[in-house]
Amino acid sequence: MTEHRSAESRASHDEWSDTPEQRYADAPCGLLTTTPDGILTEVNDTFLRWTGYSRTSVIGTPFEQLLTVGSHVFYETRYLPVLRLAGEVRELSLTLRCAGGGTLPVLVNATTHLGPDGRPRLVRTAIFDSTQRHSLERELLVARRVAEASEARVRVLQDAGAAFGACDSEESVAAALVDCARQAFRATAAAVVLIEESGDMRLAAGDHPLLEALAGTVVRRPEADALSNGRAVTITSLQDATSRFPDVADALRATRLEALSVIPLIGGERSVGLLLCFYGRQRGFDDDVLALQAALALQAVQVFERVRLHAELENLALYDPLTGLANRKLLQHTLGAALVSAERKHTPMAVVFLDLDGFKAVNDGLGHLAGDAVLEQVADRLRAVVRGSDTVARFGGDEFVVVCEDINERDARQLADRIRLAVRRPLPGVAGSFAVTASVGIALHRPAAGAATTVADLLQAADSSMYVSKSAGKDGITVVTV
Amino acid sequence: MVQKNGSTPAGVRLRNNVHVSGNPSGRPLIFAHGFGCSQEMWRDVVPAFAADYCIVLFDHVGAGDSDLSSYDYGKYDSLHGYADDVLEVMAELDLHDAVYVGHSVSSMIGVLAATRDPARFGALALVCPSPRYTNVDDYVGGFEQSEIDGLLDALDSNYLGWSATMAPVMMGNADRPELGQELTTSFCKTDPDIASHFAHVTFLSDNRNDLGRVSTPTLILQSEHDVIAPLPVGEYVHGMISGSTFVVLPISGHCPNLSAPGLLATEIRAFLA
Repeated sequence: MTEHRSAESRASHDEWSDTPEQRYADAPCGLLTTTPDGILTEVNDTFLRWTGYSRTSVIGTPFEQLLTVGSHVFYETRYLPVLRLAGEVRELSLTLRCAGGGTLPVLVNATTHLGPDGRPRLVRTAIFDSTQRHSLERELLVARRVAEASEARVRVLQDAGAAFGACDSEESVAAALVDCARQAFRATAAAVVLIEESGDMRLAAGDHPLLEALAGTVVRRPEADALSNGRAVTITSLQDATSRFPDVADALRATRLEALSVIPLIGGERSVGLLLCFYGRQRGFDDDVLALQAALALQAVQVFERVRLHAELENLALYDPLTGLANRKLLQHTLGAALVSAERKHTPMAVVFLDLDGFKAVNDGLGHLAGDAVLEQVADRLRAVVRGSDTVARFGGDEFVVVCEDINERDARQLADRIRLAVRRPLPGVAGSFAVTASVGIALHRPAAGAATTVADLLQAADSSMYVSKSAGKDGITVVTV
Repeated sequence: MVQKNGSTPAGVRLRNNVHVSGNPSGRPLIFAHGFGCSQEMWRDVVPAFAADYCIVLFDHVGAGDSDLSSYDYGKYDSLHGYADDVLEVMAELDLHDAVYVGHSVSSMIGVLAATRDPARFGALALVCPSPRYTNVDDYVGGFEQSEIDGLLDALDSNYLGWSATMAPVMMGNADRPELGQELTTSFCKTDPDIASHFAHVTFLSDNRNDLGRVSTPTLILQSEHDVIAPLPVGEYVHGMISGSTFVVLPISGHCPNLSAPGLLATEIRAFLA
């Protein structure tokens, strides 16, 4: 009995024993041994069960031959180098090709074991089925890509909005757009070309590598297409360029570029210009990229419009709308700057103040429209007789001021005389039967140490001189030195 | 004044983690690593040249101990950006008649640099080169476009996926101290986002047209069994670079600099002799 029972217990013990061999064969992971070159020398049953291979079919073959193409490349470029250099790899993700044609995603740990001579003798590898984790990871990766794509889109437009917000000129908008586009589209170079009122194109910001290469060519260019169609033109490769824009293909080749996108900047009726992105290798432009380019362009166009409108308003605020001359505000500014410059350079300057004689009679006799026509005529004559560097301003009513930098008394008198003679010429067709002349006062300023002269001082002095001329019989010149 | 690395000479050395060793008066020999690793790839090859060559090792920006802040996605969106860096390193060290040894994608980077400024180059050794990985028309690159897409996916799942964050080897981070810092955390450091971008640039570039412009004496070292750059690709490169020398190494795999460093060194020395 006792013997029998002990035999029975021994038998069951044998059956349930956990020998090292069994532990290896049935381990809850695939276990492999390879040579340092990756030739399989031993595999356990778990590995064979998972992959469906027979032992004889895998022993002697290189491990990498059991991998999918993508995994094989990762194995060669990353797995093996790290294994050789570090002696081990941890938790790398590979995909095995199974006997039945299916695949098995696995996580792999491997360790290199050295022989007595210190050289690699064999590699032990453990693989873990990561099917569940793999599909989860795939979902995460896909989700991450989608999230990143939409986040990137939002970020690009937000960053652009922030950059554009600080812009106050076309140049600064163009520069911000170039920066945003280069980053957003990973472009090797980017450029913004603006269309002048004359119709000429002007490089406003960025690098346009093709500008020189294409100078002088009259062949159809992607820019013209983009503007006339109002849609982006993309060149995806040199081959694409060769068939559609041969001269562009040559220019791209010469500048080591392979792809190009040209996005028109069009606001309402008006073409503002173009955003060009240049790429160092061939590019596919999917709908997302095209949509983002269009959104960025639209955003930029709005800012270009704002800046241009602002400039127009600023223009209105500084110039007299009737005559186009500087208004009082711009006069103050210009005169202030001239004064500072004269003090710094120790050069004399002059302020010429003139008031029209006989203007009231025109207004009273012919009406305000005729008066306006006289003022316009006088403004044109003033512009014609002053020096290029002088500033002519309408001070108010029928009063005008000319700011002359770097001028001596003799030249100032001559200038004032030219003005006097120009004004007294007849006004045929405007106020032909009326005599209009100018009473002129000159405030000449010679900078001297210690004497602080202000804009108001100069204007006051010139105004007073003008009154002296007026009381002395009009159509004359009086000079005072300040 | 704040200057971006690369704009000053010291910046170039820092940016590309440049190391000069060997014989200072020897002929310059510059090694360029391929995708997936760093200058450590040349560890077992360098000793064979240390006695009589001035050896220059560097990391591409994004790899190894390069300056990651210098990574510009626009610049490095084509191999030309990397070629610019190679030329800047050579200019900084004032190298002339240099032997350039480029592995894998760095073969093409060397081709671009040598056609731009041939004066600096005395010889090119291209180890497992491929000017284009996808098959097109009559050209055999070794991969169908769908396989390249799958490959980039596979690379992404390792570089960007869950397993990447779990694998300190990949990240070079130290949140698994039990692994020790001494080996595993230091080898082949790669920034995951940059690795993903570099993979796209590497496997989607087409530099076949640049091969014909090479005027530097060129050695092509082809692995007999290489899934990444198979034999027909090596033959193509050989055919396009006139006067080039073509040597098929009787080995398997894409990294002879690790699997057969002695053989590689012997062939390069024989070519230079």
